Amino acid sequence: MSLFLVPLLPLLGTLVPLFTERWSRSALATATAILPAIALMLVLAMAPTVFDGDSVTASLSWIPSLGLDLAFHLDGLGLLFSLLILGIGLLVILYARYYLSAKEAAGRFYSYLILFMTAMLGVVLSNNLIQLWFFWELTSVSSFLLISYWGHKSEARKGARMALAITGAGGLALLAGLLLIGNVVGSYELTTVLNSGDLIRQHELYPVILGLMLLGAFTKSAQFPFHFWLPHAMAAPTPVSAYLHSATMVKAGVFLLARFYPVLADTELWFLLVTLTGLTTLLVGAYIAVFKHDLKGLLAYSTISHLGLITLLFGLNTELAAIAAVFHIINHAVFKASLFMAAGIIDHECGSRDMRLINGLWKYMPITATLAMVAAASMAGVPLLNGFLSKEMFFAETLEQSTLGALSWLVPVLATLGGAFAVAYSLRFIHDVFFNGEPKDIPKTPHEPPRYMRVPVEVLVGICLLVGMFPAFTVGELLNTASLSVLNAPLPEYSLSLWHGINIPLMMSVAAIVGGGALYYNRRSLFRFQSKFPEVDAKVVFHNTLIDIMQMSRRLLLKLENGSFQRYAFLLILFALFLAGMPLLTLDIATGAKTTPANSLVITGAILIAIGSIATVIWSHKRIVALLMLSLVGVIVSVGFAYFSAPDLALTQLSVEVVTIILLLLALFFLPQQTPMDRTPPSHIVRDLSIAALIGSVVGTICYALLTRPLDSISSFFVENSKSGGGGTNVVNVILVDFRGFDTMGEIAVLGIAALGIYKLLAGMTLYMPTKDMANRPWAKDKHPMILSVVSQSLLPLSLLVSAYIFLRGHNLPGGGFIAGLVTAVALILQYLAHGVDWMMKRVRIVNYQGVVAVGLLIAVASGVGSWFFERPFLTSWFDYFTLPVVGKFELASAMIFDLGVYLTVVGATMMILAYLGKLTTNERLDEEH
Amino acid sequence: MNLLNHLPVLPVLIPFISAILLLLPPLRGQLGRQRIAVIIAHLLSIGTTVWLLLTVQSDGIQVYALGNWQAPFGIAFIADLMAVMIVLLTGVLALAAHLYACAGDDVKGSFFHPIFMFQVMGINGAFLTGDAFNMFVFFEILLIASYALMIHGGGKQRTQANLHYVFLNLIGSTLFLFALGTLYGTLGTLNFVDMARAVSDVSPENLPLVKAGGLLLLAIFGLKAALLPLHFWLPRTYSAATPAVAALFAVMTKVGIYSIWRIHGVIFGVNAGELANMAQPWLWPLAFMTLALGCLGILASQGLRTLVANLIIVSVGTLLMAVAFNTEQTTAAALYYLIHSTLVGGALFLIAGVIVEMRGKAEDRFVTARKMANPAFIGICFFIAALAVIGMPPFSGFVGKALLLKSTVAEDHVAWFWSGLLIAGLISLVTLARAGTTLFWRDQGTPSPAEPVAIQKKAAIALLLLCFPLLVVFGGPITEMTEQAANQLYHGIQLPMGVNNEY
Amino acid sequence: MEAIYAACVGLMTACGIFMMLRGHTFTLVMGLLMCSYAVNLFLFASGGLTLDGAVILGQSQQYADPLPQALVLTAIVIGFAMTAFAVILAMRGRADMGNDHVDGEEPQDPLTRNLAQKEVK
Repeated sequence: MSLFLVPLLPLLGTLVPLFTERWSRSALATATAILPAIALMLVLAMAPTVFDGDSVTASLSWIPSLGLDLAFHLDGLGLLFSLLILGIGLLVILYARYYLSAKEAAGRFYSYLILFMTAMLGVVLSNNLIQLWFFWELTSVSSFLLISYWGHKSEARKGARMALAITGAGGLALLAGLLLIGNVVGSYELTTVLNSGDLIRQHELYPVILGLMLLGAFTKSAQFPFHFWLPHAMAAPTPVSAYLHSATMVKAGVFLLARFYPVLADTELWFLLVTLTGLTTLLVGAYIAVFKHDLKGLLAYSTISHLGLITLLFGLNTELAAIAAVFHIINHAVFKASLFMAAGIIDHECGSRDMRLINGLWKYMPITATLAMVAAASMAGVPLLNGFLSKEMFFAETLEQSTLGALSWLVPVLATLGGAFAVAYSLRFIHDVFFNGEPKDIPKTPHEPPRYMRVPVEVLVGICLLVGMFPAFTVGELLNTASLSVLNAPLPEYSLSLWHGINIPLMMSVAAIVGGGALYYNRRSLFRFQSKFPEVDAKVVFHNTLIDIMQMSRRLLLKLENGSFQRYAFLLILFALFLAGMPLLTLDIATGAKTTPANSLVITGAILIAIGSIATVIWSHKRIVALLMLSLVGVIVSVGFAYFSAPDLALTQLSVEVVTIILLLLALFFLPQQTPMDRTPPSHIVRDLSIAALIGSVVGTICYALLTRPLDSISSFFVENSKSGGGGTNVVNVILVDFRGFDTMGEIAVLGIAALGIYKLLAGMTLYMPTKDMANRPWAKDKHPMILSVVSQSLLPLSLLVSAYIFLRGHNLPGGGFIAGLVTAVALILQYLAHGVDWMMKRVRIVNYQGVVAVGLLIAVASGVGSWFFERPFLTSWFDYFTLPVVGKFELASAMIFDLGVYLTVVGATMMILAYLGKLTTNERLDEEH
Repeated sequence: MNLLNHLPVLPVLIPFISAILLLLPPLRGQLGRQRIAVIIAHLLSIGTTVWLLLTVQSDGIQVYALGNWQAPFGIAFIADLMAVMIVLLTGVLALAAHLYACAGDDVKGSFFHPIFMFQVMGINGAFLTGDAFNMFVFFEILLIASYALMIHGGGKQRTQANLHYVFLNLIGSTLFLFALGTLYGTLGTLNFVDMARAVSDVSPENLPLVKAGGLLLLAIFGLKAALLPLHFWLPRTYSAATPAVAALFAVMTKVGIYSIWRIHGVIFGVNAGELANMAQPWLWPLAFMTLALGCLGILASQGLRTLVANLIIVSVGTLLMAVAFNTEQTTAAALYYLIHSTLVGGALFLIAGVIVEMRGKAEDRFVTARKMANPAFIGICFFIAALAVIGMPPFSGFVGKALLLKSTVAEDHVAWFWSGLLIAGLISLVTLARAGTTLFWRDQGTPSPAEPVAIQKKAAIALLLLCFPLLVVFGGPITEMTEQAANQLYHGIQLPMGVNNEY
Repeated sequence: MEAIYAACVGLMTACGIFMMLRGHTFTLVMGLLMCSYAVNLFLFASGGLTLDGAVILGQSQQYADPLPQALVLTAIVIGFAMTAFAVILAMRGRADMGNDHVDGEEPQDPLTRNLAQKEVK
């Protein structure tokens, strides 16, 4: 289980710097280093087990349905990488302590750094595919934070975004690939997957899987053509480059190749894709590196080319090549990290990284210079240094492949060429920076860095030398176990020694060194040749493309989303028409036509409706007229309800009609009396007419079909149980207050909310009040004619009586709370119309309508909750018959209480709407209420 | 009386009653009291919902016959795991949004608190009801409440956006009634379970009618869910609304999606005989195009709120594609994704609200502006939410996305779904990276004077953000639950609906 | 009779929808009202038409289908609430935007727009 601690400790470690930020820099750095250091100890403690050939594992179940487990396992490869990550990580922590200036937020920096370390450890230790991806993406995220550490600099932001975009894209591809692998193998456990290589290679999806996985690896390891993000990631503080862009993050890609070598490699496709990509990257990187004036730029491109070298090795499909690749991973990590640190020191002490300015530093910082030169030599592959050994193995392996058939000889030749360029840029690094005259106008006078800032470099260069001279003794065992887990098979014979005698690889090395020297010697002509090509800045290109895409999509979107309601409504109707109309094409309209003959009454009604509706449309710009026509239709509809034996509906429709028309008339007082000339082009009018007609005919057809077909519905139940179960003979009303009382409750809620919403709308609305009507006649001064006021006043009690009557009979005869409520409301409104708002306000100031609404709703709910006390569900009704002298037998039903609630809500809501609207006509305004 | 017998209806009644009480003394007009009251109300309903969730998990689907009239004659609430989980989600989101509003947005107009409660009531009812017409009623409740909330705070933009929103939805409601009439006229019943039965043996000559009615419903739900081409109202409405309201609206689109699940996934699902999966051929391409257009919108947005609104469209497209698959495991995955995307949408709207306050005239537009006073807190919040919405580890987005991918790996047209999902992820990654770096780093001049973020707002945002790590850490049990929920959805209950069918 | 009834419903729907496709809020409201009449009749019809069969127990021998009536009642009320809100919103729009077009601004006359473009060129 202690394996869990290895990633867990650094994870906790991310918090440490945040808490110790206030401390002195050294203290902060030390505190930060502690937990990773312990983790390193743990790994070292486990190393012997791994060297013995078995692996340490630990796992917990996490999200089974995703195949995601918290599973780690430490094998050779994992060991190698965790040593790199933790070891170099610690050195970087030390280095950064001196690198960051006093005013920079070191705490934040360290915490990002450790977060990245955790993520990286997670990647290399994962024993679960999804978890591997989890940490993989985490490295992208944390590296984004690190690169954009100096977020106020534009190039930092852009570089970070670009890195994130490219690696993020790769990450998505990787996820898809991993999920496919998991699906093919039927398990997401890495160890299982690694043992089912043939299964995957034979699967039809293998090319897809390979493509996706390689996309992930190549983007992360900055392989051509995805290499361009890496140089721009150099906007990060140098410790970050030393850590991420030499030793760890960019190695995640090649780690992926190594990790899945057993399942993906050994096919022609793999060879072609990986080898060629690697080769291209090797050459492109090495070539461009020669021309970079920026120290870090040179190193970045050399990193790209070395990563290409490693990729190429994995591509060669031979066991020895794979071993060489692993070996070069180690070596490159070591010398490149030290070079970056050296570059950082130079930058730090000179204030510049431009190799055209910083020359002859040998005099100023001899020790750093020596270290840097050794590291650079190793990069060039000079004997006695670790770089030489793996380069040698590489050359040897390029000779061993034959998949390219007759063209196979190209690979070693190009490899040598790449080697030559490597030598060239290494030479340039050494010669330009440390010799080649005097420094030209640089901000600071350079000198040796603080003692301990150099320590990490010394350590790394020391390793370069040791490995270079005693390879088998130093890294032999590590390399063996690592390669063992890469190949997932017994190792072939191979010897780690300096001298293999005079052979072709040696010749190639010599050729490379000599050629490199020649190249550098003729650099001027080389530069001249290169200067003929325009320099493209990937950052600018990337950024501009993004901007272009955004503007393009903006234009496109504006075409679709033009902010015209009429278009949106049209689309909605059209959509509905399609959905509802299509099925009707197969409808046989004649089926079971149970038709009844029409009589004159129906026909007249129909004609009236037809006239009314069409007139409404035609005169819709003369709003008052249209409104009258509309109300005519409404009246006929209610008559129709009455005719087709729905008295309740008729009553309701009629009373609603009255209120609505009053409301619309009131509103019209504030709105233009006439619709301004409709500017919609005639083509649209035709379009709308036709679609409206179509919808109409669809609806009509459905309606006809429904009318003419027999229907066995649940409704007989209501008729049977209305009296016995609901205690009322008016079935419709019983349904409303009992069977489906809950609907009614919702309905009055809607009414109440609408009233509140309308109050919201009215409050703070400022409308100028027209003093003249459309024909420019001033409104009558005498707003409230005498007769009307007298009549209405005398009518009030009567109408209240009527509404009470309607209310009471509701349960058994047409009527009920809703209609009663509307009648009351109308009566009250009449008062407003007759006497004016002010007059009413004086009298009904005490009444607060939203209060009435609330009380109504409350009563309704209460009548429902009441049933809980009898252990019945919500809204269960209760009724019984009583007999009193005089009155005789009468019924009491809980439904009546509910209906009372309805009544109050309706009154309250209607009054709120109309009375407050009327209030606008006065000079006093509504004030906000809460 | 034992409240536990009435659990299914409480998530509706608690907001309802509290809304009413807010309109009456002693709460009426007392802002301080109201704020406390609403928070208590939310906590109460969350509590009951959790209890209900546990009940459903232990003894299966809970059916509540309102008025004690057995279905199909009376209205029945069907509290199955999916409904209850989404109600719980609504509860949490509403709590956070309301808390945020209590920092002062609630005084910018009348009756904010009661209407907000009505809104929650409507949403919960729509999720819990098992009756088609009752669903219509609850749709209207949540709509009218949303109309009223939409214009809270006033201003040209809001009125403007509201006009479109209201009138489009009014058309929608009309269509809804047409659809219901058609379905009742052919099936003769309104209860979902009974409808499912009736659909399976509908007479052949009535098939076209049923199909017409059923498909018409797709238009209404599509309008709510912002399915292309009915989504045009969304970006303006959501970006214009007050932050708290916009955050709550994040769940409104899910009402539409959920209804499509219930109606077209189950009633017209595999057991619908002739009409099995009739909506799928429509849903597939439209959902994909919705996703595509959402991506276009993301790229086109010039302000954070618009960007978030378009992100919501993307999530809708994703979900509807998953719905179109209509398989049990995809539904389970989609349910997880739905929960995640709703929360992250809400969180982002709240964050955007704070950013607008802090950036002065520049508001949330992606332009160089004055430095923010103290961007640390909101910056971190934005970063977390962004990772979550993109679907990057370590937050819940990646689980949702990976679950969706994994659950469809064996389906046909999976290539479309996968590429759509992954590319959308990439696009949001690029745009959000740009948005974030611009909003927080591309600044000049002296810091803009801004009073520190109110504690309620911080708490609200923190509450939502907390969900993302939790959704990951407890991913195991949660996904188990979503799978159970999907199973219940498809192998639900038969009539007569005894209280708990054995599951 | 059914045919006539259906025809009426269809016609009203058509008129209502057409008005709901116009640009000015008040027309929209009227269209909405018209649609709600139509939809009420439609919903009502889903239970079939019955003459003198009011569902008052003991008043006639064959009853109409009471459920659609109840549904229509609910629909009417909700429709009323919605109409009310819509019309007040229309007023608010007028107050805030100064015109009563649903898009908040009178669309330019295509003719004048073309002229304007010509001037630009």
